Amino acid sequence: MKQQRKSAIAILVGAAALALSTLSSAQATRIGAVYPLTGGVSYDGITKLNGAKLAVDEINAKGGVLGRPIELLSEDGACNPAQSVASAEKLITQSKVVALLGAICSSATGAIGETIKKYKIPLISGVSTAERLTEQNNPYFFRATTTTTLNGKSMGETLSKIANGKRVAFIVTSDDWGRSAAQSYGDSLKARGAEIVATEYFDRAETDFAAMLTKIRAAKPDAIISTGGFQNAANVTKQARQMGLQQVIIGEGAFTSEAYNKLVDPFTDNVFGIIEWVSVIDSAQNRKFIDDYKAKYKEIPTKFSVAGYQTVYILAQAIQRAGSTDGEKIAAALKATNYDGLTGNYRFDDKGQAYNFNMYIVANVNKGQNQVREVVKIGKQ
Amino acid sequence: MLETIAQYAFNGLVFGANYALIGIGLTLIFGVMNLANFAHGQFYMLGGFLAYMLVVKLGVNYFAALPLAVLAVAALGWLLERTVFIRLRDRSPMTGVLATIGLAILLESGALLTWGPQPESIPNPLSPMPIEIGPLFITPMRLFVLGVTVVFLLGLYAFMNHTRTGTAMRATFQNRDAAALVGVDIDRLYAVTFALGAGLAALAGVLLGSLFLVHPTMGDSATLKAFIVVILGGLGSVIGSAVGGLILGMAESFGTMVSSAWKDAIGFILVIVILLYRPDGLFRR
Repeated sequence: MKQQRKSAIAILVGAAALALSTLSSAQATRIGAVYPLTGGVSYDGITKLNGAKLAVDEINAKGGVLGRPIELLSEDGACNPAQSVASAEKLITQSKVVALLGAICSSATGAIGETIKKYKIPLISGVSTAERLTEQNNPYFFRATTTTTLNGKSMGETLSKIANGKRVAFIVTSDDWGRSAAQSYGDSLKARGAEIVATEYFDRAETDFAAMLTKIRAAKPDAIISTGGFQNAANVTKQARQMGLQQVIIGEGAFTSEAYNKLVDPFTDNVFGIIEWVSVIDSAQNRKFIDDYKAKYKEIPTKFSVAGYQTVYILAQAIQRAGSTDGEKIAAALKATNYDGLTGNYRFDDKGQAYNFNMYIVANVNKGQNQVREVVKIGKQ
Repeated sequence: MLETIAQYAFNGLVFGANYALIGIGLTLIFGVMNLANFAHGQFYMLGGFLAYMLVVKLGVNYFAALPLAVLAVAALGWLLERTVFIRLRDRSPMTGVLATIGLAILLESGALLTWGPQPESIPNPLSPMPIEIGPLFITPMRLFVLGVTVVFLLGLYAFMNHTRTGTAMRATFQNRDAAALVGVDIDRLYAVTFALGAGLAALAGVLLGSLFLVHPTMGDSATLKAFIVVILGGLGSVIGSAVGGLILGMAESFGTMVSSAWKDAIGFILVIVILLYRPDGLFRR
């Protein structure tokens, strides 16, 4: 008898807990993140998710949006177009999210494009830079970061100052990114009287740059411009210095990052990084973000954490402005974005491309200490 | 122009010698065991990571870590032959290929889980500063890599031609059944061959890992390069792989003079040409 009563109570408590949990999740506004959480880009994906979670916690602590908390649900996209589409579908149809964030790799972000059109759910990407993403006339797609072409247009003056001479050589990845960098930075520098003396393309899996650098050395450049993730950036820099190339190196990607500096030691100096965010940006908002992030995750945030953090805020403010969780209304509200983030002010143009925010040119000084050398405002395309 | 050519030739030599190491390991395993080892690049990757672990996590001296890492991978190769590949010996060649592809995925994912996706460098006591010899810029590490590789290639040549095990390997290359009939211990020979092949790949991994960086996915391109080298030289030919490696290294280096974007295509173009005119490779066995 006693036993029966006990189990009856247990069932009641269980049912009550279940009812409560469905109640709270029905109340929360759900947003979804499709980031690569496994595979080669997983570190970036996980730090981006951490940044997004921090923003959600902050917003919820201040009462959420439309008087309700935000709930962030994430699915692994693995940087793979097919898996990212499946994850986006799952978040939209099963978890009923009202908007999406993602998916880091441009190919995966592009693939989700059709899915968000079909379900009329807005997507904000904070990292994917492939040009074509904002050229597909997709009213639900928003990019809260730069593209290499935009960099080229806005940075010509600054770059020609740093290049310290008229002869410029490119050593860039042989994909969309590297080719558009060589094109847009090249055009922008040529318009200011520079001469492009060599352009070398390499595969991302490449480790040996000795032959390409030999060719570049023979062209006698004043500055070398490069693109690449950690591994390419570190190998290019180290080998350039070892081949006797002491020129200024300006790099887009992982150049001047902490991990990069560790790998290229002792060749860290006279390198400039073109980067979306860096820890030494001097603002109260940035310092608070870094402190909070460190307190929560016991590590230093990356530019991916910042992208995750800022895109959540942009989305939350749009939902608030829309006064609704309807996808079309959120998308319309996103067009009116005017967000003051860690890296300047964000607005979107008609194509969903952000502008008016900052890009940073970071110099390595004193054996790999970062210093913001120039702040460049990205203009409307 | 001449100075540039000297630099290209030196770069090509360092790489050619390393391609030869990887290629010979692959061709030995193929020649003796009739097994196309698609996990070859993963042994190369493991060599690099074990050396990294030994130096960074355990504080072992670099010059001691190098042979230790190679021996550890060779031991793993021996163990894999005795436990896995011995069971597949008389199955169709496709079964062996599938097993090595599975092994490649297992090793690569295992490395990703253990060490994470970040590339790492193997600290070494050699100076990172270049030595200028006339027009040539050479780092001590590149010289060291070249020296060790050449010593091993010569040692391997002596081993194949002047030891009982080497002679037994060559006999098994030619005819496994006849070799067994005249008293070659096939079981032992297979294990030794697989261990040697894995060890050679690991050696290349440690050397190139110290020159550049080690990361979990570095094995994929190494496997591809190894197959190019082996096809160039002729499947199962040790001399062929040595020459094939050198040709590939030089072709890639000098190919950059024309266009760096084509660098990786050059190897495959060479393979197509060789297969068209000498379907058995440059050195028929």
